[in-house]
Amino acid sequence: MGAAVDHVNPMGMSGGSAEGNDKSEGQRFSCKSKLTALVVDNGGVCRAIQTALLRSYGVDTQAVETGEAAVELIASGATFNLIIIEMLLPFMNGPETAKQIRAMGAQSKILGITGFFDERDQQEFLAAGADDFIEKPLSPEIVIPIIRELDN
Amino acid sequence: MDVMTQLQRQWREHTAYLRKEGYLDDQFEQLQKLQDENSPDFVAEVVSIFFDDSEKLLNNMARALEQKVVDFKQVDAHVHQFKGSSASIGAMRVKNLCIEFRNHCEAQSLEECVRCLRKLQYEYSVLKNQLEYLFRLEQQIRAAGV
Repeated sequence: MGAAVDHVNPMGMSGGSAEGNDKSEGQRFSCKSKLTALVVDNGGVCRAIQTALLRSYGVDTQAVETGEAAVELIASGATFNLIIIEMLLPFMNGPETAKQIRAMGAQSKILGITGFFDERDQQEFLAAGADDFIEKPLSPEIVIPIIRELDN
Repeated sequence: MDVMTQLQRQWREHTAYLRKEGYLDDQFEQLQKLQDENSPDFVAEVVSIFFDDSEKLLNNMARALEQKVVDFKQVDAHVHQFKGSSASIGAMRVKNLCIEFRNHCEAQSLEECVRCLRKLQYEYSVLKNQLEYLFRLEQQIRAAGV
């Protein structure tokens, strides 16, 4: 008899932490309230991964490629509990995007994120109204406490 | 040993090898955890985007370094994006080369940048082959399980 095969994960990977979202263990952290998030990143890989991670916790997540698109979305009335913004966006950069979002009165939690952590970038982002600034990758260790905070 | 068991063993061994040799780190496992019934091809899809983006970035870096007057800030911007994407999928060796590359951009050292780009192109193509092999094994496992 062959070993049982999980067609989704060939090796039926498990052994993840309870904080991760290892579906094969049946353990699933999920947000309690209806939370929404926006990912702002010019890279397709990061947009895809950050969106999937947030959605895996039940957060209704959208992604846009530019700061301008994010500002337009919010100007049109969309609201988000959490906005994750890449530092080095083309044209309008991360901090400038955060500044404009704050100027519109958005109360969202804004998380600045970057490929390379740099203290000057951190200062710029925080001064622009971001609540926090981290280096990629976006991890469960970062996201879960944020979701818990937003849930309460 | 039946085909399925053999394939699964190959998959396990190859994944362990990639981790041990530092091609992939824990972040790749995080991606695998995001794959489920609703998105059964998530990892392959994201890696496919990674391949496309990486090839564009590497081309952009090469072209930027060929200019008469090199704009190191522009090169750095490409490296920044590559570091972010490689860190996000767990491509550790590629990510570490990006860190090295950035230092050369900051020093505005053309020769070192060109050398580093070649190393990066090499590591990327090795990683691509390794991942494509892994996905081929997965396809075979799925086919054998039907």
